[in-house]
Amino acid sequence: MKRTFLVLAAMVTAVVLMIAAGVINFEKRREAERARMQGAQLTLVPDNGQAGSSPSADDAAGGDMENASSLDGKVAPTFTLADLNGNKVSLANYKGRPLVVDFWATWCGPCKVEIPWFEKLHDQYAGQGLEILGVSTDDLDRDDPAKLFTQKRDIADFVSKMHMNYPVLLGEDAVEDKWGIDAMPTTFFIDRNGKIVASTIGLAPRDVIESDIRKAIASGQQESGVKLGAGL
Amino acid sequence: MRLVTAAVTFVALLAGGAAQKLPWQAADDAGGGGQQKVHFLYPQQATVAAGKAATVEMHFRINEGLHINSHAPLQKSLIRTELIEAEPQGVHIAAVDFPAGSDYAFPADPSQKLSVYSGEFVLRMHVTVGRGDHLLAGQLRYQACDDHTCFPPRNLPVSIDIVGN
Repeated sequence: MKRTFLVLAAMVTAVVLMIAAGVINFEKRREAERARMQGAQLTLVPDNGQAGSSPSADDAAGGDMENASSLDGKVAPTFTLADLNGNKVSLANYKGRPLVVDFWATWCGPCKVEIPWFEKLHDQYAGQGLEILGVSTDDLDRDDPAKLFTQKRDIADFVSKMHMNYPVLLGEDAVEDKWGIDAMPTTFFIDRNGKIVASTIGLAPRDVIESDIRKAIASGQQESGVKLGAGL
Repeated sequence: MRLVTAAVTFVALLAGGAAQKLPWQAADDAGGGGQQKVHFLYPQQATVAAGKAATVEMHFRINEGLHINSHAPLQKSLIRTELIEAEPQGVHIAAVDFPAGSDYAFPADPSQKLSVYSGEFVLRMHVTVGRGDHLLAGQLRYQACDDHTCFPPRNLPVSIDIVGN
């Protein structure tokens, strides 16, 4: 009888201790969460209209970012996507030319900073064979013709407004999954042999983008030259 | 001896249970896994007077360093934050009030003004509820960015048990 009492007393004590530990744990977590939230306020850019005090787009781009795709160094996954006119465009058509594939969206602010850079770089390096493909990742309701029409028109309006001077393709989930796209902009730099030589996730500084373009141009050239020499 | 074994097992089970997430902690991951940039904080349950207009405040938290567009973004192409709710039988949602956004501009494009939420924000849902328990299940649709990167729009499941007394 006495032993039963002792065991029951031990069980009651254990339950009380567990409840007390749970309450203390909950309070501590709540305190930690509160402290975390106090330090989690986003730093907003002062809206003071002083253009001179604003950083340049290049300075403000993600210069310290180390984000790169796991596809770096691999052969670019193939795709065939429709452009805004419904024409099918295949990545294979670009083999033999250095290529930039930029995944963007109309709702992506950093993409709007990057796109004019691509337009200029496209012109600047056209003589060296550079091609750029933009892939829009905007949602498309392919089962609803009326919505699809409006969505395509919105993308076309954006392309026109931004004066994009390179082909824009309509993305598909399967392609974005294959390329591991979960953030915009994500840009791949591909050499003449179809190998991804660099990538950036998020807005990179303009000089990094240009350097990656040069890398794509040079990488393909060297390997093609070696192959050509070996064949002679 | 059997009683002692039972007691040890009981305490061990209790300890094991305490190591797992408690109900109010698990709610943070509701339906979104690690991919969600916004989390529904509370309430899990709200008690209101049956048949009378009431307001339920819904608290959300955005991941550190991120912002989402407000309900009234300043550009047409931006995806606004919306609450998608289906009215279960016995619940009438008259309106949902969204807070005003804060001014923000991407560091790389200071001329483009945006209206965003960051940190915590609260939606006020005006409801009239019949007597009894009602499960209000909806989704918060949002699109998040940090200073350099934007993420695809996502839907965050939001469930509240509304009790009309």
